Amino acid sequence: MNYEFDWFYVKKGFPQLIEGLWLTLELTLWANVIGLVLGFLVAIGMLSKIKAIVWPLTAYIEFFRCTPALIQLVWFFFCIPILFNVWWSAEFMGILALGLNLAAFNAEAYRAAIQAIPHAHTDASTALGLNVFQRIIHVILPQALILSLPVLITNGIGIFQQSALVALISVEDLMYQGRYISTQTFRPIETLTTVALIYFAVSFPVSQAVTLIERRTKRLLAN
Amino acid sequence: MAFVEIDGLVKRYGSLSIFEGFDLHMENADRLVLIGPSGCGKSTLLRCMMGLEDIAGGTIRLGGDDYIQGATDGRMTLDRRVQKEVGMVFQHYTLFPHLSVLGNLCLAPVRSRGVKKSEARDKAMGLLERFGLAERANFYPSQLSGGQKQRVAIARALMLDPKLMLFDEVTSALDPELVVEVENTMMELAEGGMPMMIVTHDMHFARSIATKVVFQERGKVIEAAAPDDLFGNPQQERTRDFLRNVLHIEG
Amino acid sequence: MDFDFSFLAEYSGVLWRGLLTTLQFVGIAVVLGLVWGFVLSLGRTSSNKGLYWLATLYVEFFRGTPVLVQLFWIFFCLPLFLGVELSGFISAVIALSLYSGAITSESFRAALKSIDASQFDACIALGLPQGVQTVFVILPQAMLRAIPNLLSNVVSLFKESALVSAVGMADLMYVGQNIANNVARPIEILTAIALIYFAIGFPLTRAVSLVEGRLLKVVKA
Repeated sequence: MNYEFDWFYVKKGFPQLIEGLWLTLELTLWANVIGLVLGFLVAIGMLSKIKAIVWPLTAYIEFFRCTPALIQLVWFFFCIPILFNVWWSAEFMGILALGLNLAAFNAEAYRAAIQAIPHAHTDASTALGLNVFQRIIHVILPQALILSLPVLITNGIGIFQQSALVALISVEDLMYQGRYISTQTFRPIETLTTVALIYFAVSFPVSQAVTLIERRTKRLLAN
Repeated sequence: MAFVEIDGLVKRYGSLSIFEGFDLHMENADRLVLIGPSGCGKSTLLRCMMGLEDIAGGTIRLGGDDYIQGATDGRMTLDRRVQKEVGMVFQHYTLFPHLSVLGNLCLAPVRSRGVKKSEARDKAMGLLERFGLAERANFYPSQLSGGQKQRVAIARALMLDPKLMLFDEVTSALDPELVVEVENTMMELAEGGMPMMIVTHDMHFARSIATKVVFQERGKVIEAAAPDDLFGNPQQERTRDFLRNVLHIEG
Repeated sequence: MDFDFSFLAEYSGVLWRGLLTTLQFVGIAVVLGLVWGFVLSLGRTSSNKGLYWLATLYVEFFRGTPVLVQLFWIFFCLPLFLGVELSGFISAVIALSLYSGAITSESFRAALKSIDASQFDACIALGLPQGVQTVFVILPQAMLRAIPNLLSNVVSLFKESALVSAVGMADLMYVGQNIANNVARPIEILTAIALIYFAIGFPLTRAVSLVEGRLLKVVKA
């Protein structure tokens, strides 16, 4: 290997990369907001005994879990405007696709957590005279959140990584800026390595934190 | 010389001390039952004898041979003979889930003793027949009841012709109606003259199978006597307290 | 709005070839990933500090960065590093396999860790030598326990494989986007592509939960 490194362009383009990172983080944040809220609602809906509710929700979850995120993103980008005659920005499409994808995975995480809540708690809430909504808010939600927290965070950081896909529909995120600089300057090694390191620097601490949290929650709920 | 001689046993978990110089002797024909409050080191004693725990001092002799020699630096030298002479059955069966009943029984003889497969198989079938488990030979552990699993675990230990059997709370994890079949199997072994050391919480079973009952508390032997004496006429205040509590709870 | 799916028949041959390319990528990445992942998991459970850290860093890095970045890096940078031309196909296979190895090693490691300590006690009590313990007791159980995770890795790779379209590999995704552009009928064609992915991804995902349920019953003895 006799490649000569030249970090000049990386240094020069660094502000641009950071700008991209901010957009990436913004996409991640909003996708997580959608994923956490919608995911819980879907999980609650899945508890229903009414088939007309359960079936469409199941279809939604399975569809988003079993197809590539890229096709979901591309589908939103090209088909939503035609179908609904709306012209939203690529960023918004990205958030929507990523958020719906995340919500499907989170719904599964919530569902698994809700199933893990001892049935005795339902009986206890009934005995305490709580109605369905009070039970969902005060008994199920807090426990489901705690139990599923490690998976929710893992999914959340997963969507941070998946968000790199939006570069393919010309959203100017970290990935996009990295690609742009590397082709402009013919310095792919320096730029793409830097981009990889930035992604890693964000997701690694989070994944380490998950390991810690997992240990904590196990102890907390060990009743 | 006694059959089992434990002298000056020292065992610690970090700063927690279990034994500081524990002594216990057992004769060849004995079936020793260890009773006492939880945390008093009954199970730890069996685990030390089996070589599952490092000990910090003392000696354990079997038939006159030292086989675990404690040293001050907390490391021990373990003679491989221990596992050849002693069999052990655990609370949670510890059958190998990926092997059939027959596979569980034949693994150790075939793979570490060089016994021929056909020979091991015949012997295993003999044991299973004796325990009424012959038709389960090709089942997997997950297809057995708790009582059956535990009896297979006993058969697995017997495959190696142990001179002494250790039973560590083998009925504690079982549903009450399954306890009897395991206890009957142990009784049958006892009638065949197998020396045993048993840790159990079942006082009635202790009384019927033991030749000698040892009451221990906080890492010390408080009282050791024949079952009728220990249960009928305990000499120590602490023994009486313990028995009053457990027998009262048992109703 | 009018939908017209009839024109799809015309393209069935191209789509079929695209799907085969996708499956080819997945198949190769799974097999190479199994071998590489096993080697990595040995490193991650090794008592040698150097090996441990090297393997851990590798795994964390590949799990902590977008696969798209990895793919571009292999595609654009590796040839420069090695000073040789790499075909797009080779680059994509390398990238997917390196990633596959990282997630596979995690499955192996988790399986090893999930074996109960009492199994080791039983081995000692039966006087099994170390080698026998490893080959006949621990490894088979680890393999059994790893199967559901390994299967779900296959699903992940199947989905991630769509990324190779971004470096010009004519997989299902690429072919679909191309047709969509040519005939200006994105809804029909992209929906069809999504359904094809689903038709394979869904049964695979189902299989994972089925196998998981079965195995849990077996290994829980």
